[in-house]
Amino acid sequence: MGNTENINLSDARFQGLLERFLRVRSAGDKASDADRHLDEDSFAAFVEGNMTMREATPVIKHLADCGFCRHKTAELVKLDLAFAETEIPASIPQTAPARAADVIEGILSRLFGSGDAAVMAHEEKPSDEPPAADEEKEKK
Amino acid sequence: MNDVLQQAFDLVTSELFERCRENAPNFGVTIERFRASLERTVRKYLIDASDEPTAEADLREFIETIQADDLFLALACADGNERAWWEFDHNNRSYMERVARHLAKTEADAEEVVDWVYGELYGTRVVDGERVSKFATYSGRGSMRGWLRTVIWHSLVDMHRASHDEVSLDEMTENVGEGAAHANFAAAPAGGEDLMIEGITRDRYRKATVTSLSNAFASLEAHERLLLMYYHVDNLKLREISRLVENEASPLRGWFQRRSQSREKDPNARIHESTVMRWLEKSYARVLQLFRDELKGVHGLSDAEIETCMGLATQDLAGGDIYRNLTENA
Repeated sequence: MGNTENINLSDARFQGLLERFLRVRSAGDKASDADRHLDEDSFAAFVEGNMTMREATPVIKHLADCGFCRHKTAELVKLDLAFAETEIPASIPQTAPARAADVIEGILSRLFGSGDAAVMAHEEKPSDEPPAADEEKEKK
Repeated sequence: MNDVLQQAFDLVTSELFERCRENAPNFGVTIERFRASLERTVRKYLIDASDEPTAEADLREFIETIQADDLFLALACADGNERAWWEFDHNNRSYMERVARHLAKTEADAEEVVDWVYGELYGTRVVDGERVSKFATYSGRGSMRGWLRTVIWHSLVDMHRASHDEVSLDEMTENVGEGAAHANFAAAPAGGEDLMIEGITRDRYRKATVTSLSNAFASLEAHERLLLMYYHVDNLKLREISRLVENEASPLRGWFQRRSQSREKDPNARIHESTVMRWLEKSYARVLQLFRDELKGVHGLSDAEIETCMGLATQDLAGGDIYRNLTENA
């Protein structure tokens, strides 16, 4: 048996049978109908346990039958747990942070090899400082 | 949405909007924009998710689960709000980088996927003059970070797919993250071809065992099947399963607690590994009972013969022979 962690039941033999059965059964799962897989939004909500029962009923049914989506949720749970143990703080800028548009433009340049002004739908006025939330709040 | 539901929706979303705007006054999200997003989500995941009519209580419960501040941020980022982008970058970049490094095989892959996701989040496609931002697909049903993890994971699978034309979707998912360590998790058992079925009686027992096991498993409720699959096929540890049901609103937890008499004592108690183990034990007990019932009722086997079936199946475990023709039988 693969996963025998902490299980101490009288009929371990049956568990072995069942596990073998489930593994072979899942080997026959096909992931061809990608349109019917869960979307990213649903994956995130399910893994975080953030769904109402009504909403979750079809999701649980789908996961019980779809090896692709189930495996993905399993991986996301492992990831969630791995990162829950080490809280990732927000980055602390050493200097004044770059403007968001500059950050994005830099990334797009790396992706496409140019400044890609065409895809920068939002023309931002040059500024050395990030928008100051407090100042704007005070103005109101 | 009928009038009553629409009124409730308008009221709840107004309150939610005011709270979000107070928290982030510079994001420039309008109430119309906010409502339109929530209405799409309500229709898709609440109203259309069930044939049952949606009650006002369902609506309120659903909207309470929405991560409204994260949604507010996502909408502002999708609209290109400068302040929102700065805040998103400041709060999430290092997290995204760590997730990518954890999942990717190389540092270069990790950097590439973060850049790629940033590009998608900003929107590299323009449709009808509008930039299409990945943020527009975030509905707030999970946290922003949970969603980002999923997006990064998916992007890595896509990257892997793009560089391996002949690889199936299943194989791809197994090459990202810990799945890589279980790449053979679903492989059919090797060997056993040379094992002969000795005699018609043994053959009958074997077929009865496979059919009964298949039917017994299929008779379980979806949440029980899911739990068993997570544990036995996807190799989730008890601790990882308990993480999945940690949230009191977890649907999987809700299903198991519905069936549990101890639920009334303290439905909000923390779910420990021992609780998950008890759920597994109950699921084993159910499938075993269904299995025995079918062997007795449908195949007419006695207790002694059922023991023979179990013995044969156990012997076959080494070679996997009993399941060789499972797909035809099941």
